Amino acid sequence: MANSFKTLLPEDVATTRTLLHEAIPITGTIVSGTYEPAAKTDGNNIKTFSHGMYEAVYDYPYLSSSANHIIDITAGYSSGSTLCVEDPAAENVQDAKKINIYNQMAQVLVGYDTNGKIKEFDRDGSSATDTKMRNCFFINFARLLTKDEIKKDSFRMDLYSSSSFYTASGQRHDAFTLGDYGAQTSYKTDSPAGEYGLLYTASAAPRGKIMGHIYYQAGIAVLTSSYFTGAFGDPLGAAEQVDNRGTYVPSGPAGNGTMMNDQLTGSTITELANAFRFNVDNIQFNNTTELNSTIYFCRANNTEFNYSSNTTYLSESQIRVKGNNPSANPVSYITTVGLYSPDNELLAVAKLSEPLKKTPSNELTLRVRLDY
Amino acid sequence: MAFLDNSGDIILDAVLTDAGRKRLARGDGTFKVTKYAFGDDEIDYSSYNANHDSGSAYTDLEILQTPILEAFTNNRSSLKSRLITLTNNNLLYLPQLVLNERYDRTERLNLAGFSSGSFLVSVNAATGIDLNDKEATQGMFIVGDAPSDTSKSNYIRIDQGLITDKLDGMKQLSSELMEQQYMIQIDNRFGSIVDINESEQGSPAFIDDDQIATYYVTRGVGSYVSLCATGQITDPQGDSYVGAFDGDAEIITGPRGTKLEFSILASSNLQNSEYLFDTVGNGTIEDTVATKETYKVLDTTVKVTGVTTGYSIDVPVRFIRETGVVTP
Repeated sequence: MANSFKTLLPEDVATTRTLLHEAIPITGTIVSGTYEPAAKTDGNNIKTFSHGMYEAVYDYPYLSSSANHIIDITAGYSSGSTLCVEDPAAENVQDAKKINIYNQMAQVLVGYDTNGKIKEFDRDGSSATDTKMRNCFFINFARLLTKDEIKKDSFRMDLYSSSSFYTASGQRHDAFTLGDYGAQTSYKTDSPAGEYGLLYTASAAPRGKIMGHIYYQAGIAVLTSSYFTGAFGDPLGAAEQVDNRGTYVPSGPAGNGTMMNDQLTGSTITELANAFRFNVDNIQFNNTTELNSTIYFCRANNTEFNYSSNTTYLSESQIRVKGNNPSANPVSYITTVGLYSPDNELLAVAKLSEPLKKTPSNELTLRVRLDY
Repeated sequence: MAFLDNSGDIILDAVLTDAGRKRLARGDGTFKVTKYAFGDDEIDYSSYNANHDSGSAYTDLEILQTPILEAFTNNRSSLKSRLITLTNNNLLYLPQLVLNERYDRTERLNLAGFSSGSFLVSVNAATGIDLNDKEATQGMFIVGDAPSDTSKSNYIRIDQGLITDKLDGMKQLSSELMEQQYMIQIDNRFGSIVDINESEQGSPAFIDDDQIATYYVTRGVGSYVSLCATGQITDPQGDSYVGAFDGDAEIITGPRGTKLEFSILASSNLQNSEYLFDTVGNGTIEDTVATKETYKVLDTTVKVTGVTTGYSIDVPVRFIRETGVVTP
């Protein structure tokens, strides 16, 4: 009997898993608020919030529908930090919010100890040592960038360790490249949020100092504030200055407000995020998309699919491609593959870029891949 | 949709259709690919020239250069014509589907400004009475609120066979080519399919995301599908003449397969409301000859496909609803 459908057999269906990587470069100009760099106001690709818990970076002025949200930046410290002052009269600026941010991140990324207490970030990822990161910056990458996860040993962040060191030609220096060097084989697995790598200051063993963590599936970088060794401050802050090169020079009240610990206690989270943005030179990583695919092998054997139900195939019911010769081979042309449900509903369509000729003298196998 | 780049390797551009995505989202296991088909929607076989002056390399050069569109996600827009598997490679003729309008109950109204070459379906009794009062439209429409009453209502008949006088119409089609089952697709918002002989409303196999209901009708189940008669249609005096203008009239000149007879029941929305006429209808027409009634109309297409051969035919249908009399 004539038939236009062919049943898929078990050997005609295969499933595969593929990891797809994209390179994601984020330049410092975007992070520093590139769309209004000269104005001493919020760059309008930087969104701040009245709650002051974090700051969002977009790749374009955020009011535009073309803008994509790429990073959130925030900062906080542990209630166990020496910066935390329990005396309400001498309380730090946004003390509760900074503790709240730290605890939130620690809950998600580090988890709890056996007593139900939130664990602190451990610098080398080993609970055997007591080198905790109690004052941290958090860089949360949008899922748009990280997709399913950040590829291990691909994360690099060029970051100035100070806002105030200049060469004679006016170039800033004291920048380091933090990276998860060697993480392909030495990542950590004890986080409730998945796998993470340590951020080192050098690529060659022993890789310098550990300055933070990169959580691959969560898409969050955690950086200890002790990375910043020089002056540090909000370039948008009222007490600061912009020099004649248009570059920020932190000054602040004499003896106060320029070093990291003073900023952590005396500045808002938004000001800390502003200062952090000013020190970012470049961030780059590769993301990973996990593609689960089903491959359907659609086979047209030599005896199959040689005729067509195309209206133009017939002229007064006579098959055109045969001329007037009944013994001539039938010919058809494949442009489309349809995948159907048992009740003949079309579930997926695949189109060939050019027609394929099908005759009784050839056989074709078309491989249709559906990605999920 | 753009064309696919055909300058390099052959690529395959695959997408889920909207119906496929809907089933996937339902998560009830109805997204299950069990079969496949090949289509040739863009191909115009009339450009195939088996006797090309420049040689056999040129017979299908134009066809092979046809640019192919990217895949449509609408499930109704693709695989309009499917390739067929037949065991016999020596066939010169293949069956087609044609409307048989030789009987006045299966005839379309051909009245300028009224039917536009469509089967007319009155959606309520008032419209039916109006249309029956007019000489031009009397008995020339499907009574959408009582379509199984074939003494009053027209119906649609589609015949399958070889439209050629080079083969003998005294024979049936070979069993390999004979359709035993048809698929009928109609917009479920407008109407449903009815068996004209058993007064039974069909039950759709499924209704897709575009509200297109798909019915399957099979020979031997109900009376939708039956064999065409064999005989001559060109010799009215002959003993085997089957071309009479009655319910048994045949139209196909060559070997015949089966015939499909069905009618359309207007949906309750169309019967009781003008909403769909106003929102997706095709405007208002006016009977300028007689009583000057005005009617709202809604045009659609009923698609009939032979499940065996994949051949299809689009039947134009116009739903009509009387709305009042034009004030002079």
